Amino acid sequence: MAYQLYRNTTLGNSLQESLDELIQTQQITPQLALQVLLQFDKAINTALANRVRNRVNFRGSLNTYRFCDNVWTFVLNDVEFREVTDLVKVDKVKIVACDGKNTGSNAAD
Amino acid sequence: MDADEFTVEAVERALQQLYYDPDMDKKNVAQKWLTQAQASPQAWHFCWALLRPDKVPEIQFFGASTLHAKISSHWSDLPPGQLDSLRSQLITQIGQFASGPKLVLTRLCVALASLVLHVLAETWPTAVPDLLCAFQTGESVTEADGQARCLALLELLAVLPEELQSSRIPASRRSQLRSALAVDWSSVCSLLQQLLQRPDAPCPVRERVLRCVSSWLTLDIALKDSEGLLESCLALLKESELFDTAVETIVSIISQPDCQRFADSLLKVVPQVLGLQEQLKKAVQDGDMETSHGICRIAVALGETHCRTLLEQVDHWQGFQALVSMIMSCTGTPGHYPVDETSSSLTLTFWYTLQDDITSLDAERQTLYLQIYRPVYFQLVDVLLQKACFPRDEDYAAWSADDKEQFKTYRVDISDTLMYVYELLGPELLRSLYDKLGTLLTDTTHPSSWQDIEALLFGFQSIAETVDVSYSDVIPGLIGLIPLITANNVQLAETIMFTIGSLAEWLADHSLMLASVLPVVLHGLSNADLSVACVSALKRICRECRHDLHLHANDIMAVSQAVLVKDIHKALGFLLSALPSDEILGKLLSLVTPHIQQLEKLANEPPSSANKLPIVHILGLLSDLFSTFDLNKQSERSEVMRPVQTQPHHNNPVVVVLQQAFPLIQTILSKWLNEPEVVEAVCAVFEKSLKTLLHDFAPLVTQLCELIGQMFSAYPQASALDLTRQLVHIFGCEKDLFSPIIALLELITNITMSIFQLGSRDHPDVVESFMQLHTQALRRKSDLYLSDRLDIKAVFYCGILSFKFPEAPTLKATCLLFTELISHCEEIPAVREVLQEDGKLLLQTLLEAIGGQSPRSLAEHFAEVLFSASCNCPSMLSVWLREALLPPGFPSSHLTTEYKEHFCQQILREQVSKRRMKDIVKEFALLSRGLQGTEYAANY
Repeated sequence: MAYQLYRNTTLGNSLQESLDELIQTQQITPQLALQVLLQFDKAINTALANRVRNRVNFRGSLNTYRFCDNVWTFVLNDVEFREVTDLVKVDKVKIVACDGKNTGSNAAD
Repeated sequence: MDADEFTVEAVERALQQLYYDPDMDKKNVAQKWLTQAQASPQAWHFCWALLRPDKVPEIQFFGASTLHAKISSHWSDLPPGQLDSLRSQLITQIGQFASGPKLVLTRLCVALASLVLHVLAETWPTAVPDLLCAFQTGESVTEADGQARCLALLELLAVLPEELQSSRIPASRRSQLRSALAVDWSSVCSLLQQLLQRPDAPCPVRERVLRCVSSWLTLDIALKDSEGLLESCLALLKESELFDTAVETIVSIISQPDCQRFADSLLKVVPQVLGLQEQLKKAVQDGDMETSHGICRIAVALGETHCRTLLEQVDHWQGFQALVSMIMSCTGTPGHYPVDETSSSLTLTFWYTLQDDITSLDAERQTLYLQIYRPVYFQLVDVLLQKACFPRDEDYAAWSADDKEQFKTYRVDISDTLMYVYELLGPELLRSLYDKLGTLLTDTTHPSSWQDIEALLFGFQSIAETVDVSYSDVIPGLIGLIPLITANNVQLAETIMFTIGSLAEWLADHSLMLASVLPVVLHGLSNADLSVACVSALKRICRECRHDLHLHANDIMAVSQAVLVKDIHKALGFLLSALPSDEILGKLLSLVTPHIQQLEKLANEPPSSANKLPIVHILGLLSDLFSTFDLNKQSERSEVMRPVQTQPHHNNPVVVVLQQAFPLIQTILSKWLNEPEVVEAVCAVFEKSLKTLLHDFAPLVTQLCELIGQMFSAYPQASALDLTRQLVHIFGCEKDLFSPIIALLELITNITMSIFQLGSRDHPDVVESFMQLHTQALRRKSDLYLSDRLDIKAVFYCGILSFKFPEAPTLKATCLLFTELISHCEEIPAVREVLQEDGKLLLQTLLEAIGGQSPRSLAEHFAEVLFSASCNCPSMLSVWLREALLPPGFPSSHLTTEYKEHFCQQILREQVSKRRMKDIVKEFALLSRGLQGTEYAANY
C-alpha cells in the first residue's frame, strides 16, 4: 500500500471532489471511490519517485524534528530556497517526509 | 433478467452479454445483475456448475471468482458442517485446473487461500502441512500429473501471504494470522529448497519457487530461517533465464529489516556476496549491464541494510571492508551513466549510510574506523568526480535528450553526496581538489581536457553551495586559478559561473578578490548560452557584496544594459541601492531612461499584438529592478522583509522615477486598459515598489489611488484590487494619507457591487480579491465601516453570493471575510444589524456549502466562520442554527432531526478549540454526503 499523504494536494483534492460528486449522484459506490483513491496513491507515489527530476536546494535553521510512526517531521525557520536563478525566503517551513523506499508491508499497517 | 432466477443458464446468458454484446447499456445491466448473482445465496451452488470442464474459460473464471467472493465476503452464509466438503471440492478443482487455464487456477488458489485464512487460527491449524501433503502425495489431487501438481501447489503457496495482505482483516487479526502462517515456514522452506536444488527441476518450477519465496518474506521471516534458501538462490545467478527473478528474491531476503538480529547469519552472507565479484567483473568487461546491475543491487542491499550491524562486528572488519571495496567498484563502474552503465547511481545512498553509521559509533570504534575509511572516502571523491565528467563532445552530442536529463540528475546526486562527504573529510577535501586543479591547469606537459577541469570545479561548487567555506584557506588560490581557465565550452563556462556564484558569501568578506572574478562574469554575460548562469552569479554577488561594489558599478551597469536578459535587473537593484546616496539617482536614471524612452515610443504606436509583448517585457524589467532596490535594507544583511517604521527617505530615487514615468503609465493604460496582461504588468511595477519602499511610497499614494480608480472604473480587474489591498495594509494607520485610499475603497466597492448585480460568475478572481480587500480593511481599519459611505451590508450580501462559487480560493477568501466580519459585530453597528437581519441567511448558505455544495476539503475554512460566530455572537448563532436546520431534509436527506440537534449543541458548546470545531464540521460534511463510516472517507 502506498502513502496517502498526497491526497491533500490540489490533484488529490480535485479527485476527491469528483469522487464525492459521483457518490452523491449515486453513479459510483464509496467502495469503488476507495479503490480509485488507492490507485491514485499508488500512481502518485510511483510518479513522484520516478518521474520528477526538478531539484531545489534550501537551507535554514532547524527548530524542531520528530520521527513518529515512520514519518519524519521537520520545522525549519528562516529558510532560503535556491532555484537556479531565484532565491525565496520563508519564515517557517514544515517538512513532512516518509521513507521513499518503504512502501512495503510496514506502510500498510 | 429476473433476480429470482440466479440459475447456471441465466448466469451464462449474462456473461455472454457482458463479454460479447456490443450495446454498452446491456453490458452494464449484465454487470449489475452478475454482481447481484454473486451476492445471492444461490451462488454457492451455481459456481461449481460453471467450473465444469465443458465450459469456456470466461465462464469458468466467473465461477472461480464467485467462489472467492463467497468465501471472502459471505463466509458466515456457509452452513455449518459444510466446511469439509467445500475444502475437498476446492482442492479437487485446483487439481483439475492444474494444467490450465492459469487464470482460473490462480482464482481457485486465491479462493482456497481465503478459506485457509478463515479457519487457520481456530479449526484448521495444520492447513499448510495438510495441503503440502495432499499435493505432494497426490492423494486428493488425482487429476493432475506430478509437475502440474507441483506448479499448482506453488501457486497456492504464493497467493496465501498475498491474500493475507490484500484481504480486509482487522490489524490485530492480521498479525495473529501472520504469526500462525510463519510457523509453517520451515516446512515450506525445505520444500522450496529441495525444488531449487533438484538439477532436473524445470525452469518454470524454479521461477515459481522464487516468486513463492518473495511472497512468504512479507510474513517477516527471519534471515536465519532462510540461510540455506538464500544460498540456493545465489547459485541460480549463474542461470541467465532465472537471473532477474533470483536477484529480486535475494534482495528481498537480504533487505528484511529484522536481519540485524542475526549477526551470525549476516556474517555468513558476506563471503557469499563477495563471491559474486568474479561474475561482476566479467559482466563489466563484457558490457553486460543487466548482470552488473543485478549483482550491484545485491551488494548494495547488504551494505545499506546492515551497515551498522556489520560495523559492530569489529573482529570481522576485513570482510566488511571487502564488501565496501566491492561497492566502490560498483560506484566506479567504467563508462558514462546512463548510457554505458546504470549501476553506479544505486550505490550513492550506501555512502551516506556508512558515513552516518561510522560517525555515530562510540569514540573508540569511530577512531578505528576513521583510520580505515577516511582514505576510502578520499578515493570515493576521486571516483565520483570521474563519474561526474562529461563525455567527449562528439559522444555527448549523440546522446538523447532523456539521457542528458538523467545524467544531469545523476550529477546532482553526486553533488549531494560530495557535500555530505565534506562533513567527514573537512577542509582537507577542498585542499585536495585545489591541488588537483592547480596541477591540471599548470602542467604544460600533459594538456588537460575541459571535462576534467569542469569536474573538479563541479566538486568545489557542490560543497561551496551549501557549506560555509570560510575555514578553508584554498579559496583565494582557487579564485586566482579561475581566470587561468580557458572556457571554450558552454558546460565548463556554466560551471565556472555557478562556482563563482557559490562563493558570493565568501567574497562579501573578502571584497578585494571581487576584481578577479567580476570580469569573468561580465565577460560571460555577452554569451546568450550562458545568460542563466551568469545572471545567477551576478545576482548573488550583487546581493551579498553590494556594499563593496561601488568601484565596479559602472562596469556592471555598462555590460548589463547592453545585454538586457531576464532577471538582470534584480541584480542591478541590489547594486544601485547600495551605492552612495548622491550617485543613486543619476545611475538609476541612466539605467531606466532608455527603457522609458522605448516605452514612450511603444505607447505612441497604435496598440497591436506586436507591441504588447515589448511593453509587458519592459514593465517586467522595471518590476524586477524595483523589487530588489531597497534603501531600507541598506544596512542589514538579511533580506527578510519587515515593516520599517522609520521616517520616510525624502526623494527616494524610485519615487522620483515613478513620478516622472507616471504620465507615461497613464497613457499606456488609456490605450491598453482592456488587456489584462498590460494592466497586471503596470500593477506589478507599483506593487513591487510598494513592497520595498513601504512608507517611502507616500508621495505617490494620491496619484496612484486616482489611477487605480480610473483603471477599475473602465475595466475591473483583480490586480487593481490586490494593489489597493497593499495600500490599505501599508498606509492603513496613517491619517494624512488615508483619505484618498478611503475614496478609492468606496469607489471600487461600488463598482464591484454592480458587478455582483450584473452577475459575477465570470469573475471569480475579482470576487476573491474583493473579499481579501475587505478582510484586510476590516483588520487594519475597521472604523472605516462606521461611516455610511462604505456599505458593509452590501459587502455581506456579496459574500453570501460568493459562497455559491465553486472555486476553492474564492471560497477560502469568503470564509476569511466572514470570520473577520463576525468578530466586529460588537463595535460596528452596521455589522450587528446585518447579522441580526440576515444571520440566518448566512447560516443557511454556510450549511448548504458544508452539506454538499462545496468541496469537502474546505470544511475547515467553513469551521472558522462558525467558530468566529460561536465566540462573538453565541446567542444569535443559537437561533440561526436551529431555524436554518429546521426544514426536514436540509441541507441533506441523510441528516436526522436528532443528529441536527446534536450538531447544534456541539457547535454552540465549542468556543475554545478550533480543531474540535473543524472535526464537528467535517463529520457534518461526511454525514450530509452519506459518507460517514465508509472506508473511503475514513482514510482521509
